Order: sequence, then structure tokens, then C-alpha cells
Amino acid sequence: MGVLVIAEHDGGSLGPVTRNTVTAGTRLGEVTVLVAGEGCRGAADEAAALRGVARVLLCDDAVCGQSLAEPLAALLAGIGREYSHLLAPATTFGKNLMPRVAALLDVAQISEVIEVVDADTFKRPIYAGNAIATVRSADSTKVMTVRGTAFEPAAAGDAAAPVDGVPPVAAKPVSRFVSRDLTQSDRPDLAAARVVISGGRGLGSKENFAIIEALADKLGGAVGASRAAVDARFVPNDYQVGQTGKIVAPELYIAVGISGAIQHLAGMKESKVIVAINKDEDAPIFEVADYGLVADLFEAVPALTASLE
Amino acid sequence: MKILVCAKRVVDANVKISVKADGSGVDLANLKMAMNPFDEIAVEEAVRLREAGAADESVVVSLGTSASQETLRTALAMGIDRAVLVESERDLQPLAVAKLLAEVVKREQPDLIIMGKQAIDDDNNQTGQMLAALLGWGQGTFASRVVPASGEVEVTREIDGGLETLALALPAVVTADLRLNEPRYVKLPNIMKAKKKPLEVIAADELGVDIEPRLEVLKVEEPPKRSGGVKVADVAELVDKLRNEARVL
Amino acid sequence: MPLYQAPIRDMLFAYYELHQGESLRTLSGFEELDRETVTAILEEAGRFVGERLLPINRSGDEVGCLWQEGRVITPAGFKEAYRDFVEAGWNSMALDTDYGGQGLPKTLHMLVDEMICACNLSFSLYPGLTNGAWEALDSYAAPELKELYFPRMASGEWSGAMCLTEPHCGTDLGLLRTRAEPSGDGSYRITGTKIFITAGEHDLTENIVHLVLAHTPDAPAGIKGISMFVVPKILPDGEGGLGEPNNVACGAIEHKMGIKASATCVMNFDGARGWLVGEANKGMRAMFKMMNIERLAVGTQGLGIAEAAYQNAVAYAQERLQGRSPMAGQRTDAPADPLTVHPDIRRILLTMRALTEGCRALAVWVAQLIDQAAGCSDPEERERAEELVALLTPVVKAYFTDTGFEVANLGMQVYGGHGYIREHGMEQLVRDARIGQIYEGTNGVQAMDLAGRKLPMAGGALIERFLEPVRAYLRAREGDAHLAEFTVPLAEAADRLDSAARTLLQRSAAEPAEIGAGAVDFLQLFGLTALAYMWARTAEIGLSRGDGDEAVFYAAKIRTARFFMRRVLPRAEAHYRAVDAGGECLMDFDDRAWSQR
Repeated sequence: MGVLVIAEHDGGSLGPVTRNTVTAGTRLGEVTVLVAGEGCRGAADEAAALRGVARVLLCDDAVCGQSLAEPLAALLAGIGREYSHLLAPATTFGKNLMPRVAALLDVAQISEVIEVVDADTFKRPIYAGNAIATVRSADSTKVMTVRGTAFEPAAAGDAAAPVDGVPPVAAKPVSRFVSRDLTQSDRPDLAAARVVISGGRGLGSKENFAIIEALADKLGGAVGASRAAVDARFVPNDYQVGQTGKIVAPELYIAVGISGAIQHLAGMKESKVIVAINKDEDAPIFEVADYGLVADLFEAVPALTASLE
Repeated sequence: MKILVCAKRVVDANVKISVKADGSGVDLANLKMAMNPFDEIAVEEAVRLREAGAADESVVVSLGTSASQETLRTALAMGIDRAVLVESERDLQPLAVAKLLAEVVKREQPDLIIMGKQAIDDDNNQTGQMLAALLGWGQGTFASRVVPASGEVEVTREIDGGLETLALALPAVVTADLRLNEPRYVKLPNIMKAKKKPLEVIAADELGVDIEPRLEVLKVEEPPKRSGGVKVADVAELVDKLRNEARVL
Repeated sequence: MPLYQAPIRDMLFAYYELHQGESLRTLSGFEELDRETVTAILEEAGRFVGERLLPINRSGDEVGCLWQEGRVITPAGFKEAYRDFVEAGWNSMALDTDYGGQGLPKTLHMLVDEMICACNLSFSLYPGLTNGAWEALDSYAAPELKELYFPRMASGEWSGAMCLTEPHCGTDLGLLRTRAEPSGDGSYRITGTKIFITAGEHDLTENIVHLVLAHTPDAPAGIKGISMFVVPKILPDGEGGLGEPNNVACGAIEHKMGIKASATCVMNFDGARGWLVGEANKGMRAMFKMMNIERLAVGTQGLGIAEAAYQNAVAYAQERLQGRSPMAGQRTDAPADPLTVHPDIRRILLTMRALTEGCRALAVWVAQLIDQAAGCSDPEERERAEELVALLTPVVKAYFTDTGFEVANLGMQVYGGHGYIREHGMEQLVRDARIGQIYEGTNGVQAMDLAGRKLPMAGGALIERFLEPVRAYLRAREGDAHLAEFTVPLAEAADRLDSAARTLLQRSAAEPAEIGAGAVDFLQLFGLTALAYMWARTAEIGLSRGDGDEAVFYAAKIRTARFFMRRVLPRAEAHYRAVDAGGECLMDFDDRAWSQR
């Protein structure tokens, strides 16, 4: 029995976290990737070329279009038992799909796996990352989502794995796709961005957030905020990074004018490199920052943006 | 339309939790408890649909110890009509919760179920999807907008990178995301009124489903502490470090 | 931003374990108020104040109120917060259900008020003044006036203001000059200038109901000729709506040390129409009714500020790493240990905690006495409760506000330099706390009320209302070695208080200045003794609870009680000796020498 990784894709190519999920899958056995959708041959070929992928299953059919959870779950309920582990990225795609699959298979689902201990045992964060639980599954099939930031993305390999077709499973249509409205901003999504620049109450006003945005644009990053900045209405709620907002783990996180309240740290402390810019040298944010700059943010941030020309 | 809304009692979002020294779990003794914030949004949505005339009855369900009655009373004070507690002293994992809820659904026959997308204790984000699967209903997870129409409900979902709108045939399950609404503050007179609203208690065993935990928690530990790094003197040094040491630029 | 978590567990302790919260349910109207409901109300209140009032506290302080051609604009967010506050029903918690209030116990209202004050003292004054004006009107106003004003005051649409002070008279109201001329139709024309009028003008409500003290033309001079009038900013149209504007104008607002988001107004009445409240020349009676409630409310402000300071000081002390512990158990993973390892920081935090929780325990006692007196059918029991409340009212006002200022200062000290800068909000607590010692009768005036007015009442027997239960408590525990570390210091303090009271009464017969000379020290001695009584009883409850789920909570109660007895209560001895030393050494100072140096 092998491992089945369910690919997230846009038809032509794989979603970024799928590659990390493949890496997690290789720790558990031989990896088969399922690419299900409509017009998704391109994504299947990309998956077949990944190192560690032994086989690709392609279900290219209108039934699976738009990645709706109901038909995809019905498909996986049929073929899922042939695998010891079913893995999907812990993105909104995987989080939407995998619990439905698990319930159809009458097994538990393990969310946001950050470490594979052995074939039955996994680590996952709870309480917004303030604790790590090690859990062991007693189910015959392990269904789980994988936190991308915890695994390296699988690289392209030397040879392409075979791509085999699988038929879709017709299910009673209970949901219908209406529309999709992807954010037009040139900035990446906060939760998936490689770089995040967050501003805190130190920015002082809504208007001053422009210097954060300018730096984000320079670095191709997303803009975040502390709860204090959201409470002060400098930015909308959806910018909030923290225990009650978004959990982010970018490669580079730059905290500007953020003191580093516990609830904020919970949302960003998994970032690979943390930079803090704050005028208060005793701000708790410096306790987690790899690089701290004690400075007036209104001078330092524009200077930083300018020096990246 | 009848709405069933689900609410879990969790440690208050503002409380800093600590891991027990023996690694057996999180120390929950005497912590302030509250309704799961995402469930609170679900309750608010149900109340708004009821107030707008889109629904004619709303029922809130919680699963857990008798202490969860407090959470149910909060939902009643927010405006839900009546409450059901599925009482159990056991550790109820999402699959067990979904199975118990499916039994409650058989009794209540709602047209729409709304619950939070995840609970802030276990962070599972599973129950709504599992319940939809067990019932064979459509699911609209991470909802930021819910508009019932004839025989359908249109749900706008927050997905990575934007929004997606689905139309779900009723009955359906919707899970609430942060931006669906801003929950109201409970009005003082409504706290008193909530006391008089019906609250039914059902023993979990009575529902006759398998609630055996499938996952065994072997250990709970603190996340690795991040140690502070270095202070840089100026912007130039920062850029240099990011380029040549951290290699992130 | 400073943090705030409503201390609900401690409030429930005071409400149910230390005092008789459950027995309030025997009173009419409170039957439904079980512990679950009380908890739910406190939790919702805690949430509201933390989410809506705390975030606008610092910004309100930074911006302050703005005066613009007679209008007062409150800082950003105050209008919305007030609207939601009223919408949720918090403004009318303890107001009469007949007029749309919630009719909840004063005890519960006091605890919620503490939370409001902890998060935003300036905000608390707007609904607070409405409560005070209500009290005065409730006891003395004619039914028509109540019908006209109460529904709108309960709904929060109209707020209240108390217009006493004039430019030349504050404490001595007998000197006031505002005149009220009868206009023949039953109303009066009020003319004069009032200053320091809290919430005299603002933009939170559509109308403001002023209660104004003035002399009628034929009134006796001085305090015996003062009448109270209700003077609305906009005249009611008689059908519950608003009619013509009245001749009431805000001439300016004060620029103050603290509570900057509270509008402190100069109010000009220029032939404004007003209606008599109660009997002519009996204005002070109505004013005192209101002032007694307000004094307790101001005491609660001190308590709220103290709680806010304690919580933030603890959070900072736990996070801030500085220096090494003098004991074993240093943190090896950090370059320094948290502030909490240092003995002097522990002294500060425990002092803050002992004073704050002690004041809360006392406040709940007084509030429950008020509820019991109001709902009691036995006139004798009622009188006893009212006498005890009358005795304790100046103690609560003065001792709590002194404590609020002390604790806020101690909180700033924990932060060091970071407490002195604005960023952490600790200096704002100090500035905001300071007014409590001044307004609603300075703490010196409170001490005079206690020592000069209350003490001689009933032939000096009033103090027995307090000492009697303390002695009964001590008698019942005589020889209990387990409790001795708490009961022995309490007994000593009670004896000192008794002795100081006798000394003052005896000496004042021959030398009236002895009262004023000893009053403040006497009040401090009283406050400390009352807290000692609360802490002894608290420790006893803690000891009886043992190792349950809440072992940590009760153990902390016992240890804080111990700290209070050993490290705070000794202050009582100094105050006793100061009273005992008498006033001669201050009265014989040569007045010519003040400025000759």
C-alpha cells in the first residue's frame, strides 16, 4: 500500500504547497499523486516529473471541475482504501476536502501535520501553535493535511512517472460552482506569501501604512498587521496576523512598529527569518527576531525600500 | 427555514495556555472559557437570518460536559430560540462529534447547519465537512457571505488568494470564517431572557453512535522556542545580512 | 496597549463566598439572579469594556475633548462606544424597571462599573453622571418630572449632569450665587455660572438634564436657602420628544491633568427654564442623596484604576527580563530573570494586590448593604444597614481613591522608565487616578464627614455598626491558633480604631480643631481596619477550601492576606499615633510665618 497525495492545481500547474506535500508523502512510502479536475493534463505532467513520485492518477472530467469537495471526496472514498495514507496540502483546498474524505472512509483526519514520526504517528500544532501534539492514529487509512512550511518542496526528478487515468465517481450534485473572484492585488496572499511585511500600532495611522505597502511591493511580499493596528482601524481585519487572525510562516517576516504581543507571535513565529524594526529596544518582538533594528520606523522603512532599488 | 447552529466551549482566545510539565496535555484548570470565536460568528449569522425573516427557527447544539450549558446560554442570549446539549464527559474527536450531530440532525431536520470553521483549541477544521459527508449534503466552508434563496443557499468562501461562490442545494452545511460578520454584544436584558428559553440535555450514549477516539494523543509539548538573533546597527547592515547571511533577498 | 481581563473569579469570590450574594435573591426583583446569570453578566460586561472601551482610552487621552463654539466634541470612538454601550443596556443596569431600566442589584452594577473605570475612566463619567442625577430625582422629584425625564435617561438618549460648583465656591456651597426667579407658570428662570461640570456638554446624547443648585429670591442665606432645579439643555416638548433649546450654554472646557476625554465644562445659565426638584430650600438634601451614591461610585473608580495598574504591572514584571534572582532557580535559557524574582518587585505587586482585592471585598460588602437596605421590609434592620453604609461611604470614597493613586503609582514603578513614558499607558492611570482624591468632595472633606459628622452621630454610637460585627467575628474565633496570624492583627487594629474614635470625640468637645487635625489619619486607620476585616475573613475561607480544583486561587488568597497583615497593616499603627498626637502641634504654628522664610 502506498501513499496518495491529492494535488492542488489550477489545471495547468500545481499549487505550490503540493510539492511540499509530496515530500511529506515520501517519508511514508511510495507516492502516487492524484490530479483531479477538468483540463488538468498540464498539472498531471508536472506532478509526474517530481522526484519521489512513482505514479500519477489523472481524473480529467467535468464532474471534477472547479475542485468541488463533494465529487472529489466521492472519488477518493472509492480509491482511498487502496492506500495507507492520503495526503493533501493544508490549504483551503485540502482543508475543505480531506475531512469529507475521512468521514466517508470512517476514519479520523489529522490536520496540519508538521512532522512525520512514523507511519502512524504525527506531530501537529494545537492552540494556534502554542502547543505541539504528537498523535497516533489507530485507523487503517490515515487521512491528513500537511503544513507546507514544515516540509521542503519536492524538486523535479530525472524521469517522468507514468500517468494513468481514473474515472470520476458520479455523485448526486449538491453543490454548484457560481464564480471565483481571485484577489486582483499584485501582492501575494498573506497566508501563502514568501515575504510578509507587517505593521503595528507604531505606524500611527492608516495613511502611514503606505510605507509598509511600498516595501511589500518592492519585495513582492504581502502586507500584514498586528491586532493593535487592526483595532486602531489602520487596516482591515483580514490583515491581522496572530492567534485570532492568520497564521503565517513566510521565508521572511518583517515586523514594523510591532511590540510583539504573545498573540501576534503565535501567528508568525514559525517564519524562517524574522526581522523586527522598532524604536523600543526592549520590545518583546526582538526576543524572536533574527535581525533586530532599533530605529524610527518612519526613517528606517523608506530607507530599506530605497536600498532595495 | 430552520437553522441548526453548533457551538463549542473552548479556552478564551485571550488566555495564554501552558503545557503540563508531564506532557499529558494543556493545563486547563481554572482557565476562562468562552464560546469558540468562529462558532460565535456562526451563531450571529443564524440570528441575523432569523431576524431578516429568512429563517423561522434557530436551534443551537453543543457537545461536551454540562459546563457547555454556559456556552448555550450565551447563544440563546444572542438570539437563538432554543438549545440542545449532547452531554458527554469523554474526549469527543471531530468524527465522533460529526456522528453525534448527524443524529441530532435526524431529530431536528434543519434546512441549514452553520458552525465555525474550526475550534481554536484543537484547530482541527474538520467537523462541518465531516457532518456534510455523513449526511450526504453539500458544504460551504470558510464562508464570508451566506445568502439563502429558494431551495438553495449561496455561499461565498474565503479561499487562498480570493473568494469563491458556490450554490448549495438545501439542506446544506456552512462553516463560518472570520469575516462573515461581526458578532453582536449580548444585550443585558437578553441574558435574563435566555434563562427562560428551552435547553434540552441528551446523553451522548442515548444517540447510539461510535464515539471512540481514533487518535491517541501521545504527548503535548511546548513548541521549540525561538531564540533572539542579533541587533543590526542600521539599514545597510540589515540589507547585507538578509542578502548574504540569511539569503532571503 | 494596556491589557485588561475582568477579574471575574475574584468578583464572584467577593460576591458569593465572602459576602451574601445568594441571599440577594430573597429580595423582590432579584429572584432570577442565580450565580450562572451573575457570571454571564460579568463576563459579557468584561468583554464589552475590554473590546470597546479599552481601545479608546489612550487615544481619548491623547486627543481629549474639543470645544467648538459652545459644542463639545468627544474623542474619536466615544460616540460609537456610547451608542453600543446603551444598546446593550449597561447604562441602565441598576435603574428602575418602571422606566425601562434593568433593575439589577447595585452590587452587580458596582462590579460592572469597576470594569468600566478600569478600562476607560473618562468614559465612565458620562453614564455615571446620569446615574447620579437619577438618584437625586428619584427620591425628591415630582412624579411628572420623573415621567418626563426618566424614560429618556434610562434609554441613554438623555444624560445627566450635576451643577454645584461656582467659580468662587466649591466645598462651601453656602456661598453660591446662581439665582432662580419664579416665572409665574410654575417654572423658574435660572441665571448663573457653574464650573467644573462633568459631562455638562458633549455629543454623546441628544439632550442633557442638568441638576442645578440655586437660591430663590426669598431664600435664607447660605446652605439653608439652596434649592435644586432640573434644567434641560433642550426643553422637552411634553410628548417625549425635544422642543426648543434652553438658555444653557457651555462657555469653555477645562484642560486637565487627567481624564482628558471627560468634558469638564463651564456652564452658563442665562434665564434658563428650570423646575424645582422637591421642596424649596431643601436642595442640599437631594444633593446629598445623589452625592452619597456618587461617592461610592468615585471610590469604585479608584478600585478600577488599581485593578488596571495591577494587571499590567504583573504582565510586565513577568515578561521583562532584568537582573538575576537572588535565589536558586535562575533561568538558564535567558540572559536575565523576569522582574518577578526580585523581592522588591514582589513587595510592590503584593501591595498592589492586597490593596486592590481588599478594596473590592469591602466595596461588595457596602454595595450589598445598600441592596439589602433598599429591599428590606424590617425597618430596624434597614436602618442598621443604612447607618453602616453612611459610616463607610466616606471611607470608600477617600480610602479607595487614595489607594487607586498609590497602586497606579506602584504600577508605574514596576515599569521603571517605561512607566513614565506614555507608551504603556501607566502614566495615564496615575494622572486619571488623581482626580478621584479631589472631586465629589476632597478626601479631606470625606475625612471631616467621617470624623466630624458621622462619628458624633447617635452619641458616638455609629462606629459600633462597624466594630460590632468585627468583634463578634473575633469572639467566635478566640483561641483558634490556626487563624491567629490573621485575627490577632485585626483585633489590634480594631482596638486602635475604637480608641482613636474615643480620643477624637473626647478631645473635640473641648477643642473643635481636633477633629480636622486627626480626621485624615483616622480615615486611613478606618480603611486599613476594614480591609484587615476583609482579609481575615478571606484567609479563613481560603484555609477551609483545601486542595480542590482551585487550590492555587485559595492559596493566593491566604498568602495575600498574610502579606497584608504583616506588611501593610502596620501602617495603621502610624496613623493611630498621628491621631493620638493631637492637633496642637499644627494649630500653634504662627500664621505670620507661612511665607516668612
